[in-house]
Amino acid sequence: MSISPNPKIRTDDDFELIQAINAGHSELFPELVTRYERKLYNFGMRMCRDVQDAEDMVQDTFINVFKYLKDFRYETKFKNWLYRIATSTCLKKKRKSKYAPERELSLDEFIPDETEKIPVQVPGWASIPLDQLLNEELSAVIKDGVASLPEKYRLVLVLRDMEGFSTAETAQVLGLTTENIKVRLHRARLFLREKLKTYYDHGA
Amino acid sequence: MTMAHDHNNEDCLAMFAKLSDYLDNELDALTCKDIEDHARDCIPCKACLETLRQTIGLCRSLAPDEKPVPEAFSRHLKTLIQKISSKKTPS
Repeated sequence: MSISPNPKIRTDDDFELIQAINAGHSELFPELVTRYERKLYNFGMRMCRDVQDAEDMVQDTFINVFKYLKDFRYETKFKNWLYRIATSTCLKKKRKSKYAPERELSLDEFIPDETEKIPVQVPGWASIPLDQLLNEELSAVIKDGVASLPEKYRLVLVLRDMEGFSTAETAQVLGLTTENIKVRLHRARLFLREKLKTYYDHGA
Repeated sequence: MTMAHDHNNEDCLAMFAKLSDYLDNELDALTCKDIEDHARDCIPCKACLETLRQTIGLCRSLAPDEKPVPEAFSRHLKTLIQKISSKKTPS
């Protein structure tokens, strides 16, 4: 007996393709790869900044997706489930490699201390239109800043502010509460803001 | 331009903790109004808010800057997937 899917999942762009693959048309699986290989590769590059690590992550993710696609129950969009697998593949890889222990970021470290000069006006760089501000050098500063974030904060920032997931979707992907996502995101953004502030304070 | 200022009072700290939620439209109308009122009168907090807004904007502007998948890897991936999928259906 076939079960009528939840109407919500009909809005999932991948619904028909997944149904077909799971109905036995596994020859269509490469189409799923074509849809997502670029997104996942760039996600891997943002997380690892290493071509080999990003490629390994993409390959392992698709192998796992192929293995477990039958178990996908449309409790979330396919894309969210895919990123959940990609994220866990990424984290497993990191644990096996040489990365430094995770550091916690606290809100207090971003609060200007008493010895710091407090601005009396909004810095100029904050009001320049983005398309005029962004150049190759600044892009590199941002990418370096993202890469230097402790991993658990980097994951949230990349998913929310670069991959375009909502707070609720990011919580689903990472298996965390929305409150937890908000806390990590705010600290990650403040960390990155400090990097930009330093860049502009030192005469960009 | 900078100057010494007693910035870390309770209102400033409370606002500082909520800046991302404010910029993501995840706060109720009353809290938003409190933040806007506070930022109007407190330049350091306004500077925090605007530099954070710009930081997020810059991050999002970088998002479409996607590299193509290296051709050799893409070919390898497709071959691998075809090999697996011709062997069996997903189980």
